[in-house]
Amino acid sequence: MSSIFGSGSTAAPQSSAEIKQAVLRQLQQETAMSNARALIGKINKHCFKACVPSPDSSLSTKENTCLSNCMDKYIAMWNVTSKTYIARVNVETKRMGGQEAAAIGSMASGLPEGGGGIMG
Amino acid sequence: MEQQLDLTKLNENDKKELNQVLTSEAQKSNIQQTVHHLNEVCWEKCITSKISSGSLDKSETACAQNCVDRWMDTSLAVLSKLDAMRGGPGH
Repeated sequence: MSSIFGSGSTAAPQSSAEIKQAVLRQLQQETAMSNARALIGKINKHCFKACVPSPDSSLSTKENTCLSNCMDKYIAMWNVTSKTYIARVNVETKRMGGQEAAAIGSMASGLPEGGGGIMG
Repeated sequence: MEQQLDLTKLNENDKKELNQVLTSEAQKSNIQQTVHHLNEVCWEKCITSKISSGSLDKSETACAQNCVDRWMDTSLAVLSKLDAMRGGPGH
């Protein structure tokens, strides 16, 4: 039996290759989850603001339609933003002679210094 | 945590490979977080009219692209100004 939380009944991996696979799988799940969580949170915030200006006792049909459109639009814009940003980072990285330009972006967006590994 | 993983059982090659994957995933995740931040900033600047469709129109798309590029220009300008300031008035 497997659940969405993984195959609970399998024995803990023993060999190096199995452990590696397990780490990779877990890494992939957690990054996907954290990305989805960030996206959902922001969609909720911005679409609630845009579509539900004065909350009534329930969502109206109009508000529901707006929310659905807003979600599609937010994701469409995410894709444009991502494509444009990555293209620009590549240009700047080249201009700076291979120095990672994405660091400028994460500094400018006020994000914490990224990812210390779990491997020590 | 789904499983207790005994990382000490990893051999050197697998450790090295995992470290490489983790470094590149951390980089990817940094970029993704910046995109989340940027998208939020640009959404507020570019989506100003009532939402009546699920896709971006031409001007919204152009605004989004310009927003990202000008934001990047801004970060570069801030950094180069700071860099000049670090040189100090005495230099």
